[in-house]
Amino acid sequence: MQIINKVMAWARRKSPWIIHFNSGACNACDIEVLASLTPRYDIERFGIQLKGSPRHADVLICSGPVTMQQRDRIITIYEQMTEPKFVVAVGTCACSAGVFEGCYCVEGGIDTAIPVDMYVPGCPARPEAIIDGVVKLLNTIK
Amino acid sequence: MANLMSVGTAIFNILVYPGFLFLGVLSLVYEYADRIIYARLQNRVGPPWYQPVADLIKLLTKETVIPSEANNRLFRSIPTFAFAATAASFLYIPVWNNRSLLPFDGDLIVVMYFLTIPTLTFFLAGWYSSSLFAEIGGIRAMMQLFAYEVPFYMSLLGPAALAGTWSISGVSQFYREHPLLILINIPSLAVAIFSAQGKLERVPFDAPDAETEVVGGTFTEYSGRFLAMFRMMLGAEMVVVAALIAAVFSPFFIGGNAALGLFLFLIKVLAVVFLLALMRAALARFRLDQMVSFCWKVLTPVSLAQILLDLIIKGAL
Repeated sequence: MQIINKVMAWARRKSPWIIHFNSGACNACDIEVLASLTPRYDIERFGIQLKGSPRHADVLICSGPVTMQQRDRIITIYEQMTEPKFVVAVGTCACSAGVFEGCYCVEGGIDTAIPVDMYVPGCPARPEAIIDGVVKLLNTIK
Repeated sequence: MANLMSVGTAIFNILVYPGFLFLGVLSLVYEYADRIIYARLQNRVGPPWYQPVADLIKLLTKETVIPSEANNRLFRSIPTFAFAATAASFLYIPVWNNRSLLPFDGDLIVVMYFLTIPTLTFFLAGWYSSSLFAEIGGIRAMMQLFAYEVPFYMSLLGPAALAGTWSISGVSQFYREHPLLILINIPSLAVAIFSAQGKLERVPFDAPDAETEVVGGTFTEYSGRFLAMFRMMLGAEMVVVAALIAAVFSPFFIGGNAALGLFLFLIKVLAVVFLLALMRAALARFRLDQMVSFCWKVLTPVSLAQILLDLIIKGAL
């Protein structure tokens, strides 16, 4: 049994498929997430692929604070993903709502809506920081 | 006793060669080859060698969700049908010598029919998922079927008409004996490579599962082991189509030595996969109407002219 668990954890570490969701960001973090998907940064080295459907994805990458409009949608997307699943909050706003803290339409960081596994601060977070965050998250899978 | 032997042979054929094990390993190897060639053409490092295996194990061990709206029984069984049709078509394609496992006159047509079934299952999978994106993806897959299928069939019929046989083994035997005649079929080879991209739903003809337009296309609702089955099937289909093109268009077959024959087979399939990956890296996605008009206005006339040329040369020989 232990060997099977080890192989399963190995496969999950080596093949994370991501899906990208904007929960109300100013678009700067989204551009950085897209930049980290380009051939220049080559995240396929780590087996990372961008998927369109939440059913296929393992890692949900969220950018921006959770607005009242997007709260229900981000919960729906999270629930559509299959287990095991992970969430990465990219950018200062995603971590803590940032400068939008206390705004009339903002609930707070991503963790006010769904559980978050990794926080990547930055305004916006650089592609190197995003890749570093995802790879560190993967190394916690045992 | 003889009865028992034939049952044993059948089980070996289904499970090991050329069934699940052989085709599964080949599909993983060529999926890796495709991805690393694509990565090198984009001037990047690319995935490590174990990447397809890791993807497969991860998908097999993930939770599998079946939407409550979907038709449960069909949703579960469609991936199996798709893989079975692909694996069955591999029976008629020669591997290490110029004779396939079960050759008969007319197996070229049978393989073409078997290779149509996966596209039909894509449509059914999309339809019975009861998701809007999956349905749009399925309808796009069906629409592409009407565009690429005719040039793909006709591009293989030209060489077969010149060889004067409907058997894939017979065609490859003929071109082994007359290797120079293969030069006549080069336009047909180009048509076959282009329309194979449509059959495999790869760039530039990947409108059915374009993730920027229709989320995941046909496979939007599929997850876990059913998605793994579909991915295996897509890899196997790429191997089968590449092996079919290699068998019909290349004269380099060596009978007798099995190891050398298998090596040549792997090289030939790799060459076709390289061409497919080159096109994937070089071209952008066609709109659906552009794709249909390109297939009917360019590829079909070229393959028609090819059949005519082959018939004239056959008359002159």
